[in-house]
Amino acid sequence: MEVMREVWEMAAKGAVAVLVCREQIPCNPCEEACRRGAIVVGEDICTPPRYDPSRCDGCGRCVAICPGMAVVLLDRSPGGGRARVTLPYEMRDAVEAGGEAWALDAEGVPLGKGRIVRTAKASRKDAAMLVTLEVPEEWSLKVKGLRVRVMSLEAPQEAEMPSRDEGRTVCRCEEISCAEAQAYAAMGFRSLGALRRYSRIGLGYCQGRFCQTMLAGELQEATSRTPEEVGTFRVRPPVRPVKLSRLGGEDG
Amino acid sequence: MADVLSSEVVVIGGGVIGAATAYFLCKEGAEVMIVEADDLSSGASGACDGFVSLQTKQLGGHLEMARESSQLFPSIVEELEVDIEYNRCGGLMLARTAEQLKELKARAKKLKAAGLDVETLSPSELKERLPDVDKNVKGASFCAEDSQVNPYKLTLGLAQRAQEMGATILKGCKVENIVVTNNRVREVDTSLGSIHSRRVVCAAGTGSNQIGKMIIVDIPILPQRGQILVTESRDRLLDHIVSGAEYLGTKANLAEFMPEDEEAQKLGLGFTAEQTASGNILIGSTREFAGFDNNTTPDAINAIARNAIEFLPWIKDLDVIRSFAGLRPCSPDGMPILGTVKGVKGFYIATGHAGDGICLAPITGKLMSELVLDGETSMDIEPFSLYRFK
Ligand SMILES: Cc1cc2nc3c(=O)[nH]c(=O)nc-3n(C[C@H](O)[C@H](O)[C@H](O)COP(=O)(O)OP(=O)(O)OC[C@H]3O[C@@H](n4cnc5c(N)ncnc54)[C@H](O)[C@@H]3O)c2cc1C
Ligand code: SF4
Ligand code: SF4
Repeated sequence: MEVMREVWEMAAKGAVAVLVCREQIPCNPCEEACRRGAIVVGEDICTPPRYDPSRCDGCGRCVAICPGMAVVLLDRSPGGGRARVTLPYEMRDAVEAGGEAWALDAEGVPLGKGRIVRTAKASRKDAAMLVTLEVPEEWSLKVKGLRVRVMSLEAPQEAEMPSRDEGRTVCRCEEISCAEAQAYAAMGFRSLGALRRYSRIGLGYCQGRFCQTMLAGELQEATSRTPEEVGTFRVRPPVRPVKLSRLGGEDG
Repeated sequence: MADVLSSEVVVIGGGVIGAATAYFLCKEGAEVMIVEADDLSSGASGACDGFVSLQTKQLGGHLEMARESSQLFPSIVEELEVDIEYNRCGGLMLARTAEQLKELKARAKKLKAAGLDVETLSPSELKERLPDVDKNVKGASFCAEDSQVNPYKLTLGLAQRAQEMGATILKGCKVENIVVTNNRVREVDTSLGSIHSRRVVCAAGTGSNQIGKMIIVDIPILPQRGQILVTESRDRLLDHIVSGAEYLGTKANLAEFMPEDEEAQKLGLGFTAEQTASGNILIGSTREFAGFDNNTTPDAINAIARNAIEFLPWIKDLDVIRSFAGLRPCSPDGMPILGTVKGVKGFYIATGHAGDGICLAPITGKLMSELVLDGETSMDIEPFSLYRFK
């Protein structure tokens, strides 16, 4: 918590990274991204990163690259009870400075609306775009995501369920349509995990990020089971595709 | 659920062994109920590779079973509606050292004498089958009959076909007790109610020990964890199932093939790789006793990756998209436990297949069906009796 206090103090003067990564997962792009040596993972790629905020200049490279969305920038310099949080944003819909977005907590629950003060395209093609939201200072540390879609501004909970148009692709990696997903869901699987193993939905390159909610919805509908009973995909490392050479300890 | 359920035979466990047993029982016209605590394939059968490998079996009954099993696969492929992605691709076992190659040669000789077609390949012969293998690999043994299959689809396909032939499948139904009176099984109590039955097959995988306790019999099964990496899907890169000689060492506890590295020994590390029909490469694996913990661990993931690069250098450029771990039902000698139990009529055991359950499922199902319905089997299963441990 010492680091957290330091970060909070520093943020009064300008943007600084807030890093909450405790997963023992083989992952280190943040270390590579940080040109100031503020983040160190070291030899053993599975240890959580050590972070020295005093070296951070708030450039945001680590925010854009972290696959676990474990880093945001915090900037309390505007004062007046307002703070700015910079988050990665991976959707392709238009986000424009001046607009509004829902600020979400770690569970995806909307905390409230924030104003978009800045957007920045990533310099690397595999890194996310950065969006800076201005929000009340009290919940600035809870903000872990944002949602911009106009529809969801009115009804964020509803909008999570995508349309069930039959031709729509549910799993892009395995090219499985909504109609096929429905057919799989009707086959009598009890859990999302079992359905995934059989249908391969969510077993592709994206690791189920896009399709999980849709598949869960179909399964709940087909089995009349609750979201808890249906469960979620079990997250196993790596959280995003990583070259085998990196796991093997050789840098590739 | 109806108040009174009954079935001629109750199969406990919806893994590949339970499904195969139900399938063969149904083929003989028996009335069967599969009782599964979770979902079909939720145990080891849904978290494994799909090697149907003969050259990795231990000489004797184990190998014989594997050979019989291998011969049953083609007809199963015909009879199941699900495409189980069976591929008779042949299997390579790679030697890293000259000593290993020598041992593999000696082993090939014995396997040949037992009727299995295994040849040893020189580095240049190996290159023809496995281009871009690491230059330090000294050669390999090759068995053309080694195959691969999708284990999940095999389990589901067998269960589904059994269902079509009349089997009832109760999922989310946990066996909590087995009622035995006058030395005979009478009833299976489950979380969903009681089932009257005079014949029960225990195919509960790592849950078998628990089931044994219900009839006061020790079925010595320990969960043995195996961890696997999954790469992105690619066009065909591997035409065969591939393993390293150390895999045989850690699997069958053979001193001559044990890894030298201490950490590898501790993890029970043995290299395996296969490309599935979907194009992903499954890279294995470990053999650890960690209780019922089926998480993947950073140490093992790193070790598996490092090990794989040493055999197939090109593999390092592939993206790993997932890892998983499964718990093998493992008996003290790593071989199945099949047969009856003294003093409890109507109780049958089919478990302990450790790392060979996918390969041995067809023959196990067939033998269990014979045992349950006729009281005798077409192959001698005495070597797999529970009482060999006493
Ligand atoms: C990493 C790994 C790699 C492997 N690779 C291979 C391979 O390449 N080739 C090969 O042949 N084999 C392989 N295996 C081994 C193979 O997966 C197992 O031998 C086989 O799946 C065992 O099948 P089973 O039906 O006995 O057990 P399981 O598949 O575990 O099924 C047992 C079922 O019983 C249920 N159950 C338990 N207790 C109860 C209860 N009280 N009431 C109701 N249900 C209960 C469980 O929920 C479970 O579904 C591998 C295993 C692992 C872990
Ligand atoms: S914001 Fe920039 S300087 Fe600060 S930790 Fe991240 S990459 Fe390093
Ligand atoms: S998850 Fe993010 S913060 Fe954690 S190690 Fe990976 S890149 Fe760094």
